[in-house]
Amino acid sequence: MLGLSSQPTMAVDMNLVALKPRLPAVISVLTLLLVCAPFIGLAVATSWHNFGFANGDGSAIAVSLCYSTLALILIIALGTPLAWWLARHRIRGAWLIDALLLLALLTPPLALGLLLASLYGPYGPAGGLLERAGLVLTNSGPAFVMAQFYSALPYYVIAARAAFEGVPRELEQIALTLGHSPWRSFVHVSLPLARLGLAAAIALAWVRALGEFGAVLIVAYYPQGIPVKLWVNLENIGLSAVYPLLWVFFLVAMPLPLILGLAARRRHLI
Amino acid sequence: MRIDYRIDRPVSLHAAFEVEGFTVLLGASGEGKSLLLQAIAGLTPALGEPFGGMPPQHRAVGYLPQGYALFPHLNAWQNVAFALHGPQRRTQAMQLLERVHMAEFADRYPATLSGGQQQRVALARALARRPQLLLLDEPTSALDPVTRDDVVAELIGEVHEFGIPTLAVSHDPHLAAVADRLVLMHERRIIQIGAPGAVYATPVNGAAARLLGHRNVHRGRIEGARRLVWQGSAIVLPIDAGDEVSGDVDWSIDPAAIRLVNARDALPDAIPASMEVRQVIGHSVQLGVRCGQGRLWVSMPADQAIPESMAVQLPVEAIRWWKRESA
Repeated sequence: MLGLSSQPTMAVDMNLVALKPRLPAVISVLTLLLVCAPFIGLAVATSWHNFGFANGDGSAIAVSLCYSTLALILIIALGTPLAWWLARHRIRGAWLIDALLLLALLTPPLALGLLLASLYGPYGPAGGLLERAGLVLTNSGPAFVMAQFYSALPYYVIAARAAFEGVPRELEQIALTLGHSPWRSFVHVSLPLARLGLAAAIALAWVRALGEFGAVLIVAYYPQGIPVKLWVNLENIGLSAVYPLLWVFFLVAMPLPLILGLAARRRHLI
Repeated sequence: MRIDYRIDRPVSLHAAFEVEGFTVLLGASGEGKSLLLQAIAGLTPALGEPFGGMPPQHRAVGYLPQGYALFPHLNAWQNVAFALHGPQRRTQAMQLLERVHMAEFADRYPATLSGGQQQRVALARALARRPQLLLLDEPTSALDPVTRDDVVAELIGEVHEFGIPTLAVSHDPHLAAVADRLVLMHERRIIQIGAPGAVYATPVNGAAARLLGHRNVHRGRIEGARRLVWQGSAIVLPIDAGDEVSGDVDWSIDPAAIRLVNARDALPDAIPASMEVRQVIGHSVQLGVRCGQGRLWVSMPADQAIPESMAVQLPVEAIRWWKRESA
């Protein structure tokens, strides 16, 4: 009797054990399918027989790549020191800085464009001054870079700060006691130890900058980058002119974040 | 080398003493010992000598924090070469690793090394900087208890061989026992300095005796001459107090001096006790016996019989006591 009564419980336990690892796997597959669906749709909807580009698609690709690269360089140059400083210094009112970064993240891209236009536009307080100095921040290359810079910078700073916060402060201090200047300690200890997170931050900034539509549309309708050109193609020609450019967009946008992710992971961090 | 440092924040601390050979600063946790090392290394604001006011990268100290802080992204020789420059840095790093007997682990990453091995790599890395002073923070805390004594022996051998004055801070009496010079810290003050033998033989007060790992250090009260009251008035011990002294004291007795007797014999001054734990250490045994609310440790040969109903006698001449400073 005892043996019999214990068997059903055993069976239930076995089921639970077998179920546990399967459930996350099933959900993962489902989620991946959801992510895939639009791209499968794109592959089906693209008319591969008449695959061709609209007028100006080529220059849109060049504009996007060049200016996004410039914006990314600016973001890294200005955002990295800020991220490191935020990670390493506990100051009073730090929540204000957090709130400011959140504000920049929260602003809808279109609204960000409007704010930039009213500050840096020809009638804006900063725009007028800069224009006199020869820097036009409306419908120009610099305007394009500025819009990308503003929309991607907060993402980079927040991700890079988290990366630096993961570096034990003690290791930076040890580098100092070993005779290295703070700058060399940063280069030889902080940067390599934060590289996984920094690579993710750069990838994130690149994706944000390259894909930025709303802010760029307002302050730099010209020169047209890929996101704006997709919109123009849709308006002027139709969906058939959107898909080929979209494929190229994926093709040019993907390598940097992909390589960054792989490279950062490959250098082992035992 | 004379150390004289004053720290204001996060805790207020002043320490002045001489570092000779392998000097151990012994103190309980939370005394600010690690903070003192960081101050000497220039990593926390403080005033003092040597190196006062210099940025950390210009101070000739080799600092080994607790856990050693090896760079996880560099292997052993790269860690050692971190402080070296020029085309010879790999060769020099290998020579240093050889001196600490770690050359065969040169290509290993820190995570794959044991605590003692990491300590030796960290020592080689600190030596690469050609320090005038070595600072070790709790050097025994990350060591495996089984191999600890060997690792410490090796560490001290190396420190002596390199001839660099070394200051180790610790709460480990075992480390204090092997020092060339011992400095005791209690309540953020230096309370005793000397050779370990002298300090062990004559601790300046109960706190010092506790830091040194003496067993049987208790609080008590002396009432009149010749009477020590322990645990309220539960147990009264006769002592040799000489002059009339009254007040709170710390008292202590050597575990080997306590006599274990049979309670049935009803000897004078025998305190009834019950056994809690029996600890075998080599050829002797340490018994933890309970007397009322307190515990006494009794040391005796392993082959000595233990009476069934026991009592302890504390010889008057073996009791030491120190007046407690009213805080």
